[in-house]
Amino acid sequence: MFGSRAKKRALRIFFATDVHGSDRCFRKFIAAAETYDADALILGGDIAGKGLVPIRSHNGTLSAEVRGQVVTVPRAEEGDLRAEINRLGFYSLMASSEDLARMDSDPKFVDTAFRNAIADQIRAWCRLTEERLAPKIRCLITPGNDDPLAIDPVLKSEPRIECPEGELCELGPVLVASCGDVTPTPWNTEREFTEEELGKRLAAILDPAPAGSHVVVNFHCPPYGSSLDFAAELDDTLRPVIRGGRPSIIPVGSKAVREAIKKYEPEVGLHGHIHESRGAQKIGRTMCLNPGSDYSADLLRGAIVDFAADGSYIDFLLTSG
Amino acid sequence: MASMPISAKPPAGQGLFTRQSSGLVRELGIPAATAISLASVAVVNTFINFNAGLTAFNMADMTLPLLLGAGIWLVAMFAYKYLLEAIPRAGGEYVYVSRIISPALGAVFGIGICIAFTYILAANANFTAQYFPFLLTALGAAFGSSSISDAASQVTSQRAIAIISVVMLLVVGAASWVSLRRLAQVILALVIVQLIAFLVLGWLLITHSHSDFVTAFGQFSGHPNAYNDILVAAKKDSIPLGVSLTASLIAVPFMVLNYNGVLYSYYVGGELKRPGRTYIYASVISIVLLIVVWVGVWLLMLNTVGLDFMQSQAKLGANDATAYGAITSLQSSAGGLGYGLVLSGDPISKILIGIAVPSAELAVDLAFVAVITRVLFALAFDRLLPIGLAKVSERGAVPTNAIIVAVAGGIVFALLAAFLNLANIVANLALFVALIILAGGVAATALPFRRPDLILKPGAKDLPRIGGIPVPALWGAATSVLALTVVILIIAHPEVFGAFTVSSVVTLVLVLGAGPVIYLIARQLRLQQSSIDLRLAMRELPPE
Repeated sequence: MFGSRAKKRALRIFFATDVHGSDRCFRKFIAAAETYDADALILGGDIAGKGLVPIRSHNGTLSAEVRGQVVTVPRAEEGDLRAEINRLGFYSLMASSEDLARMDSDPKFVDTAFRNAIADQIRAWCRLTEERLAPKIRCLITPGNDDPLAIDPVLKSEPRIECPEGELCELGPVLVASCGDVTPTPWNTEREFTEEELGKRLAAILDPAPAGSHVVVNFHCPPYGSSLDFAAELDDTLRPVIRGGRPSIIPVGSKAVREAIKKYEPEVGLHGHIHESRGAQKIGRTMCLNPGSDYSADLLRGAIVDFAADGSYIDFLLTSG
Repeated sequence: MASMPISAKPPAGQGLFTRQSSGLVRELGIPAATAISLASVAVVNTFINFNAGLTAFNMADMTLPLLLGAGIWLVAMFAYKYLLEAIPRAGGEYVYVSRIISPALGAVFGIGICIAFTYILAANANFTAQYFPFLLTALGAAFGSSSISDAASQVTSQRAIAIISVVMLLVVGAASWVSLRRLAQVILALVIVQLIAFLVLGWLLITHSHSDFVTAFGQFSGHPNAYNDILVAAKKDSIPLGVSLTASLIAVPFMVLNYNGVLYSYYVGGELKRPGRTYIYASVISIVLLIVVWVGVWLLMLNTVGLDFMQSQAKLGANDATAYGAITSLQSSAGGLGYGLVLSGDPISKILIGIAVPSAELAVDLAFVAVITRVLFALAFDRLLPIGLAKVSERGAVPTNAIIVAVAGGIVFALLAAFLNLANIVANLALFVALIILAGGVAATALPFRRPDLILKPGAKDLPRIGGIPVPALWGAATSVLALTVVILIIAHPEVFGAFTVSSVVTLVLVLGAGPVIYLIARQLRLQQSSIDLRLAMRELPPE
C-alpha cells in the first residue's frame, strides 16, 4: 500500500486559461511556478479583458458603472475602483465628457482604446514575468478566441515569454501544439472557423510532429461532447434558453478538435474556453483537461500535469488558488 | 468564452462598452445567503430552546445570554469575513485550516464536520418526528377536529418516529437536487413562515395581559387554577426560581450554540456572488434579525407569561412529568409555541404555530445538506475523498453524489436515533461545535502571519494594523478567546452540555481523528501511483 512512486517526473506543466485581463489571476499564474514546483507555465488563451469601463472625474470624485450600477468614490479610492473593474475582466479608462460622448458615437475610437489597453496590459505582464519568474521556468502564453489577432505580434515580440500559436513547440520531453481558434460562437470573435476549416488548421499544426513524439495539444476549444464543453444554450437574442426553469446546458465544443485528438492521440489535451466546464476526460488514450475559470472571484483555476523523461503522461491535479 | 451583452439593452453612455460574460456558477446573492444562514439557526426553535435553557439552568434569565451570544457571533463574523475573502471557496473550516495551518489539521475539521453535521441532520428529522404530536394537536385545535388531535397519540412510537424521519430526509434529499439558488428560495419561504409565526406569537403576547394568559392557560388545561398549580408544584419540588447573574453567564455557551449557523453562508462561499460582501451582509442581517425577534419575544414572554412560571413549567415538565401531566396537557417542551397555542383564538394562528417547527426543521435540514455537501465536495475536490463526490450535476450545478451520501448517512443516523439511545454517544456534540468555531478563530489569527499575500489589497505592502497587530489577527484572536471560553464552560459543566463518558469521548476522538487518518492514507496512495503530492491541491497561490 505504501510503496514507492511508479514514475519519476521529468517535466511539470502548470496550465491555466481564460484569465480575461485579471491582474490578480495573472500574478497568481506567475506565482504558481514556485508554489507548485512547475518547470513550465502555459496560459492557454482568452488573456485579454472584456471591454473598457470609462471613469469620469468630477469634483474630487470618480464615477464609473460597475456591475450595472454607477459607483462614485473619492479620488483617493481610485486604486480600489480600478481593481474592482479589473476583477470583472474590464479595463478602466479615465475619460472626459468629450471622450464619453465620442465613445457613444464612435465605435472605432472605443475599439482603438480597447486594443491599446490590451497591449499595454500584456506588456506590463511581460515585465512582471521578467521580474518574478525564475529564468529556468519557461512561460508559454497563447491567445484564445476572445483575444484580438493584434495581440499576437505583441506576445511574440516579448523576450521573456513564448507564443507558439499555430506551431509545434519543444518543451522538454514533449512537443506542445497550440491553437487558439474555435468554432463559431454567438459573438463573432476574430478566431472563429467552421469545423472543416478548424480541422485543417489543426492538422497543419500536428502533421509535422515526428512519429513517436509525445505531443501535448494546447487547443483553446475543448473537444465536442467531452463534458469539458458544457455551456448555457443561447437563443437568437443571446439570452439563455430556459427549460424546466433552468438554463439549458449543451455541449459547445469542437468536433474537429475531438477528431484531431482521436487521430493524433496526443498525451494530454489542455483546453479552456468554457469557464464553467472544469473537468477531466479521457478521449482514447488522451487525457483532456479544462481547468475552468473563476477569474471574477480572483481565483486562478489551473491544472498541474506531470510527464516522465520519455514524454509519457504521468498524472494531473486540478488546482484552485 | 467569448462575451458580449446578453441583455438586449444597449450600453448606456457611461456603461460597460463592448462585452460582458455570461456568468459562472456563483449565483447566490444576499437574500439566498441570508436564507441559508437563518435556516441553519432555525429561527423558531428558540421558542423551544428557551424552555430547554430554563430546564438546564437554575434561575437563568435569557436576556443576557441572548445578547452576549450574539456579540460572540458578531466578533466571529469579522474573523470569517477575512477567511472568506482570502479563500472564497466551499468547505468552511476545512479549506481555511488546511490552507492556512496544515492539511492534516484541516482534515480533522473537514471529516469531523461531515460526520457531526450529518448526525445533526438526522437529529433534526427525529426532532420533527417527535414534534408531530404537537403539530397534530395544534391542527386539531385549529380545525376543531378531535380525530386529528387524537391522531397525535398514534405517532409517538419508535417506528412512527423512524418513518417520519426517513420520509423527511428523503424529501430533503430530493429537494436538494435543484440548484442552490432555487433551493434557497424554498428555504427563504420556510424562514418567512417561521418569522410569521414569530410575529403572530409576538402579537398574541402583546395583545394579552398576564391575567389573560393565566385565564387562557386554565381554560386550555381544563381547570382554572392550572397556572398557580404549576407554581405550587414547583415549590413543592423545591425548584429554584428567580434570577441569578452567575446562572445567566453560565447559560451564555448555551445561547452561543443556539445562534450556531448564523454565519453558515461561508460554507457555500464558492457559490456566493462577491463572497466577502454577500457574506457580511447576510450575516449582519441574520444576527440583527435574530437579536430583535428573540430578545423581543423573550421580553414579551417575561411580561405576559412570567419568568417564575416559565422556570417552574420547564423544570417540572422535565423532572416531574407525572405531576406536570396531572395539571395540564400542554407539552412543556413546546415552550413559547405552547404559550402561543394557549393564547391563540383563531385557527390561522393555531395552524401557523403548529407548522412553525416542522417548517423550521425542514429549512434546517435543507441548509445543512447544502453545508455538508459543500464540505464533502471540498474534501473530494482535494482528493481526500473519492473524486466522484465532487461531481456536479449539469442541470442544477449541485454535487449530486455528495447529496446522496449526506442523505444516506442522515437516514442511518435517524434510524439509529429512533431505535437506540444515542444520547451518551453524541453527548459531546456541543463541544465539537464550539471547537469548530475555535478552529475558525485560530485560522483567522494565523492568516495574516502565514498567508498575508491572500488578504493584501493590490498595490498595498502591508496590512492595516492596530497596536502593531494585523487587524484580521485581532478579530481572529478575539474569536479564539471567546470560543475558548465557551469550550471551557462547556467542559466545566458536563451536567448541562454533555457528560464525558467513555463512549462519548471515544466518539469525539474518532470524529476528530478520522480526518488525519484519511488524509494520510489518501496522500500515501496517491504518492504510490503518481508524482503529484496531494498537498499541492491545498496550496493557495500568492497573488503578490
